[in-house]
Amino acid sequence: MKRKLIAAIGVAGMLFSVAACGGDDGDGGKKAGADGYAGETLTVWVMDGSSPDQWQKDLAAEFEKKTKAKVTFEVQQWNGIQQKLTTALSEENPPDVFEIGNTQTPAYAKTGGLADLADLKSEIGGEWTESLNESSVFEGKQYAVPWYFANRVVLYNKKVWADAGLKDTPKTRDEFYDALKTIGDKTDAEPIYLPGQNWYHFVGLVIGEGGELVKKDGDKYVSNLDDPKVAAAAETYKKFQALSKAPKDKDEATPQQGEVFAKGRTGAFIGMGWEAGIATKANPKIEKEIGYFTIPGETADKPEGVFLGGSNLAVAAGSKKQELAKEFLKIALSDRFEGQLAKLNGVIPNKESLQSNLEGNAPAEAAAPAAAVGGTTPLIPEWAAVENAPNPIKTYLTAVLNGKSPADAAKQVEGEFNKRLAQQQ
Amino acid sequence: MNRSLFGRLWPNVTAAVLFVVFVFPVYWMFATAFKPTGDIISETPVWFPTEVTFEHFGTATDADHFWTYVRNSLTVTVLAVVFSLIIALAGSFALARMRFRGRRGFVIGFMLAQMAPWEVMVIAIYMIVRDASMLNSLVPLTAFYMMMILPFTVLTLRGFVAAVPKELEESAMVDGCTRAQAFRRVILPLLAPGLMSTSMFGFITAWNEFPLVLVLNKDAGAQTLPLWLSSFQTQFGNDWGATMAASSLFAVPILILFVFLQRRAVSGLTAGAVKG
Amino acid sequence: MTVQTERPPSGPADVRRTDDGGSGGPTPRAASRAGALAPYLLLLPACAATVLLLGWPLLKDVLLSFQNLNMAQLIQHVTEWNGVDNYKEVLTGEDFWRVTLRSILFTAVNVALTMVLGALTGLLLARLGKRMRLTLLIGLVLAWAMPVVAATTVYQWLFAQRFGVVNWVLDKLGWHSMADYSWTSSQMSTFFVVTLLIVWMSIPFVAINLYAATTTIPGELYEAASLDGAGAWRSFTTVTLPVLRPFLYATTFLEIIWIFKAFVQVFTFNGGGPDRLTEILPVYAYIEGVGNQHYGMGAAIAVLTVLIMLGLTAYYLRIVLKQEEDEL
Repeated sequence: MKRKLIAAIGVAGMLFSVAACGGDDGDGGKKAGADGYAGETLTVWVMDGSSPDQWQKDLAAEFEKKTKAKVTFEVQQWNGIQQKLTTALSEENPPDVFEIGNTQTPAYAKTGGLADLADLKSEIGGEWTESLNESSVFEGKQYAVPWYFANRVVLYNKKVWADAGLKDTPKTRDEFYDALKTIGDKTDAEPIYLPGQNWYHFVGLVIGEGGELVKKDGDKYVSNLDDPKVAAAAETYKKFQALSKAPKDKDEATPQQGEVFAKGRTGAFIGMGWEAGIATKANPKIEKEIGYFTIPGETADKPEGVFLGGSNLAVAAGSKKQELAKEFLKIALSDRFEGQLAKLNGVIPNKESLQSNLEGNAPAEAAAPAAAVGGTTPLIPEWAAVENAPNPIKTYLTAVLNGKSPADAAKQVEGEFNKRLAQQQ
Repeated sequence: MNRSLFGRLWPNVTAAVLFVVFVFPVYWMFATAFKPTGDIISETPVWFPTEVTFEHFGTATDADHFWTYVRNSLTVTVLAVVFSLIIALAGSFALARMRFRGRRGFVIGFMLAQMAPWEVMVIAIYMIVRDASMLNSLVPLTAFYMMMILPFTVLTLRGFVAAVPKELEESAMVDGCTRAQAFRRVILPLLAPGLMSTSMFGFITAWNEFPLVLVLNKDAGAQTLPLWLSSFQTQFGNDWGATMAASSLFAVPILILFVFLQRRAVSGLTAGAVKG
Repeated sequence: MTVQTERPPSGPADVRRTDDGGSGGPTPRAASRAGALAPYLLLLPACAATVLLLGWPLLKDVLLSFQNLNMAQLIQHVTEWNGVDNYKEVLTGEDFWRVTLRSILFTAVNVALTMVLGALTGLLLARLGKRMRLTLLIGLVLAWAMPVVAATTVYQWLFAQRFGVVNWVLDKLGWHSMADYSWTSSQMSTFFVVTLLIVWMSIPFVAINLYAATTTIPGELYEAASLDGAGAWRSFTTVTLPVLRPFLYATTFLEIIWIFKAFVQVFTFNGGGPDRLTEILPVYAYIEGVGNQHYGMGAAIAVLTVLIMLGLTAYYLRIVLKQEEDEL
């Protein structure tokens, strides 16, 4: 209600000022002419590791060619991003365009901090994969545009596996476990780097068990961690984590597991295909050793469940460069750049027709079989609060890994989890 | 007086043990920073680096904008300390030397101000600075850091001023100095150790601060070293060589300052503390 | 009575007036009025700064504590008053009281350890020979000068689960279960390290100050005491302690404030974890307010934190109040 009122006043104000200024054309650059945006700079926030340097460089060049404006990419860390984004959106000069995780998009859509991109959807969004666009739509409005999607795979060090005498990649969960055991027995490498709080992988395991993290209780969501299916997933996680020396109370980004892997003393880790890029950046020599395979499921015919992670791009409602931001999105999501991103990072592009870019891309081919059995966290605005530190699901995992029974751990975090799901917006 | 051997020995032994306890973490920081990675992650600690490498310092200073952070940190810290010393000196002189109505109120007021929980006020400060359109600037940062150390500076300096014998000032005035001249020529030189020891506290507080700069300045051009150090730590959490190199770089300016100032400052600390 | 400086106002004030070379002859009255204003003028910058830079944020914080301020309201700059809802929610919840109790215990333990060990170290300094004293002083100053962010990082490394030197030493000393111990895994072990860190950082201030204070005690006092037949303990209680008492009060007051607000150490070391079990009040306020983006709630906790801190230091403030009264 309040927002509508503000919008109405804004429109009235605009009409008024237009009328008052008459034919005055000095109203400062909103013209999308040949060099209408010259001298302007668009600020774009991307998350650490999600877009390759090459992509940024090519895109910036193309953007400058088309609009005469410049673009600066500012790389953000996931850690504390919500606090940073919230305050940034309230500021006079917010980032014009920013990457936002699909699980966090509904919450921000609800805050009114994201610009309505309905016209962009109708202009370029005809072919977007329906399911991938879901998180960008809130109460029927398009608040973001789908950018890329990905699910986790196993990244392994071919040399370490060869040293352990392993020839094939595993097809079932037990084979996977045995292979890691072999590495532990036969080499001095750490079989797998699995920090205790890689909760995205845990969500995947829960999805694989057919479980849910939350359930509906009346019209609100509450914890479902005491479900035996969730407990089963936690046990699987624990079994594999026991093979790792990674800290039980840290997530996969602190430190970046790619950096750990880059040292060459780790057999495998569970991550996004593009995390290989982090490893290669830290140690170029590791590149030729990296291999990928689908996370094996309980049986060979069905891969492990995965969390379908993804990111959208959004425009800040407070940005003064709305038109330019949209121009940027048109170029960034064009077949050329969306395709390039898919190719370079091995991520799923936002339309089917671009899938061909993934042919021959090892991480993407490893990811593809699992995508069909993937899922997400509930796409509700309440969810973003759960991800704030200390994330109760991470706490749950650490508790289980430190010896609590899944049921006790579930009980331990239930209060915090429910509080966050019920949090006033 | 003949003390037993034991009586002479134990203070020295205790002191030696304490010395090790206090120095070891500092030593270990530097030692780790210079050790090759192989020696850092070794099953048996390498107590004395046999091989010295600067590789970790390279990693640490390789961060974008590193030198901007250094410059910003120095600017903000030095300015905050200097401003707070000037402002506090005036106030502390009044509190120590003059009698006036409400003096007690002022003293208690500064004591209360000293308790301000800055970390929990960051959002209030953020909103004020945001609404004044002064985000991403070193000005509010300097101002707030100055304020964080001001109450302590006022109260401590007050003790130092009070400790300067009144007679000195009076005799200077008898010699024809104005009160301001007497202050400048007689009291100020005697206050030097006091100013130094108070500034040490100010330096370390302003140099360390990060919750505020974290929300106020998102623009790398206006960020400071503590942010670099803490973000560095999340990113390179297990690269202890680089993390310790970064910590060393961060600690060195303060360590130098303290070692440089402490001899003159310690002699003056009593005065400040007793009165405070 | 208006205002008085501590010496007869005649001389200096008059001198200064003539120095000003102002318009019209300096009348004694004008002079005394100027003298009367002087302390206020001298205090003006400090007070103005305090009001603007501390009073205003504090007031803002109080105002925020009566608002429903979350992501949406912050982003859209909307003010939604909600009365005392935040306070009601905080004060009726269990969490706040648990955290408050924990904060007070945490402060008490750390302050007690710091003061006792710091005072003993200070007395030791006074007993040492010149060379050993300088050595220990250097050690203390190094620890004191370590910036807290760096110090916390170093402690994380010392107590690291893998390759941490502390675990290695414990293992070698025969405590093998500590070989791969994670110090961040439990409430007590986290508090243990944080306490060690805080006490390590705080002792130098207490010790050096106390040592400096003992140097002001004239030797004759001890001689007189021993002539009276006082032993070491008696001369300590009758000579040393009285001199040190005001200093001990002042230092304890400062340590209470500093340790109660030990945000950086607790937050950086383990983020208030595991499972929020090591959150002390400032960390709790930060996590509820900024972390959970419940800014109004955070502001309410901040206000309550200030009140609790006032309560903790009330005793000392009363002493100061009385002491200042006596002087007037």
